[in-house]
Amino acid sequence: MKSVSLTFILFSVLFFSACKTPPVPPEVEQAKVQENDLWRAGAPVYAAEEHSKYLLSLGLAKEKLIKQKARFGWFRKYEEVMASYQAVLAEGETILKKVKEEKESKSRDISGQLALLEDRISKLKNATLNMNENDLIRRNLARAGVASQEAEILLRREKYADLPEKIKTIDRHVSQAEEALFSILARYSDEDQVGAWRKWAAETIAESRKRGTTAIVVNKLERTLSLYKKGILIGVYEIGLSKYGLSDKLYAGDGATPEGKYTVIKKLPRSRFYKALLIDYPNEEDKRRFSQAKKRGLIPPRAGIGGLIEIHGGGNDSITNGCVGVENAVMDQIFPEVAVGTPVTIVGSLESAGRLITGLRK
Amino acid sequence: MKNVIKVMVLGVFVMSLFVSCAKQPTQEIDAAKAAVEAAANEGATIYAPEELKAINDQMTAAMDEINTQSKKFFKKYGPAKEMLVKAVADADALKATIPAKKEAAKNAALTAQQEAQAAITEAKTLLEKAPKGKGTKADIEAMKADLKGLEDSFPQIQTAIDQEDFFGASNTAATIKEKAVAISDQVKAAIEKVKGKI
Repeated sequence: MKSVSLTFILFSVLFFSACKTPPVPPEVEQAKVQENDLWRAGAPVYAAEEHSKYLLSLGLAKEKLIKQKARFGWFRKYEEVMASYQAVLAEGETILKKVKEEKESKSRDISGQLALLEDRISKLKNATLNMNENDLIRRNLARAGVASQEAEILLRREKYADLPEKIKTIDRHVSQAEEALFSILARYSDEDQVGAWRKWAAETIAESRKRGTTAIVVNKLERTLSLYKKGILIGVYEIGLSKYGLSDKLYAGDGATPEGKYTVIKKLPRSRFYKALLIDYPNEEDKRRFSQAKKRGLIPPRAGIGGLIEIHGGGNDSITNGCVGVENAVMDQIFPEVAVGTPVTIVGSLESAGRLITGLRK
Repeated sequence: MKNVIKVMVLGVFVMSLFVSCAKQPTQEIDAAKAAVEAAANEGATIYAPEELKAINDQMTAAMDEINTQSKKFFKKYGPAKEMLVKAVADADALKATIPAKKEAAKNAALTAQQEAQAAITEAKTLLEKAPKGKGTKADIEAMKADLKGLEDSFPQIQTAIDQEDFFGASNTAATIKEKAVAISDQVKAAIEKVKGKI
């Protein structure tokens, strides 16, 4: 009896030791790597639902694996486990693809929004480049610029969740800059006002043609000085204006450049600002407006109407006190052409700023 | 024959003793979960997300092992326990590193804030020194407005620091610094321009 038992045990040991324990399928390890890849790619954020389902499938596959692992080595069968893991891997691949597409789509969308905002910033910068009264505009554009650069950093780091708030900040500052610009340009988009300015310029040119004399038309919005001889345009020059050059001058120290039909009353070959042409500001219309404004209390009680408005040298990138500044070389060209009595018409603009505003709003 | 039956009964008794004695390491599981949560709460999700994920993976592996063992006839929770103990140790170690990491991020943000402030101050000083001549006045005024915009943005750095968003604070500070330095460079160029004219 004893020898039979021993033989049976020996036989059993030999029999089972001849059987190999099947190896765990490689898909199990691959799934571990994939699960990490999905996490790193941001699947829990960009494909949350699919990722939850994936984890469920992975859990079920793991259950099957665990079930097999719980068996004695020679009873383990991994075919079903392998199939489950293969399905999980396929599911994971689909999610990875979706996450990639989702991120690309978000990146495209946000890049597009940022590009539009950058375009608005750039348009505003160009539109206000030569404006002296651009403090508020530039301040807001600087703030928008900071937010925009931060948004670029977030975009590079794929922090898409933080970007909508940043985009809102940029938009807010750009909108504030636009509103500041539009309020400055409101007068320049008034068709009646622009019509009156056109009429002044046309009358000045016609007079120059009729009398065969020289005439000057200053366009404040374009920042140009046009020189006419016998009604023919002979030169266009860049100009500099005062701090609030786009406003119509009302009183001394308001930092505005006057608008109206004036005449050169004195030529100064030696001036503080190279050479100068003094004009007859204030004219009758200026005096009438000043008086009305004073009566209404729109100007400081002690303020005078001002005067000594000139076209002078010193540079076109200057900020004058109401005068029109040009480069010294330009002054050299204009000065000999202009005589005392030459008409100087200063207009806000010959074209409505409405189009500019519409362009910026787009 | 009696002896064989006795041995069999004894065998069954010993086996059932083995099976019933191997209990799941619930204490270790709870400890590991608590340690991981503590590390996450300390800020590991922000300052050491990869390390935290690795510890979470260790936890998952330990739980899988427990699950496997629970289905076995002869349960052996020793390796799972070891894994859990290691997870606790790793989570505790990670948690201990977070304050230093947070401090480093905070210091980096504070340094960046100081650098941004220094860049603004330098640009301001340069703008004050800038020639008041007519040739550059418009440019200087424009740059002053730009600098004011940067100064307006500056408090955002402190707000981010107060909210412990140190990386965000550093980004804002670096951006402001870059733009302030650009203004300084422009002022220097404007000064050179005037010198050239003289």
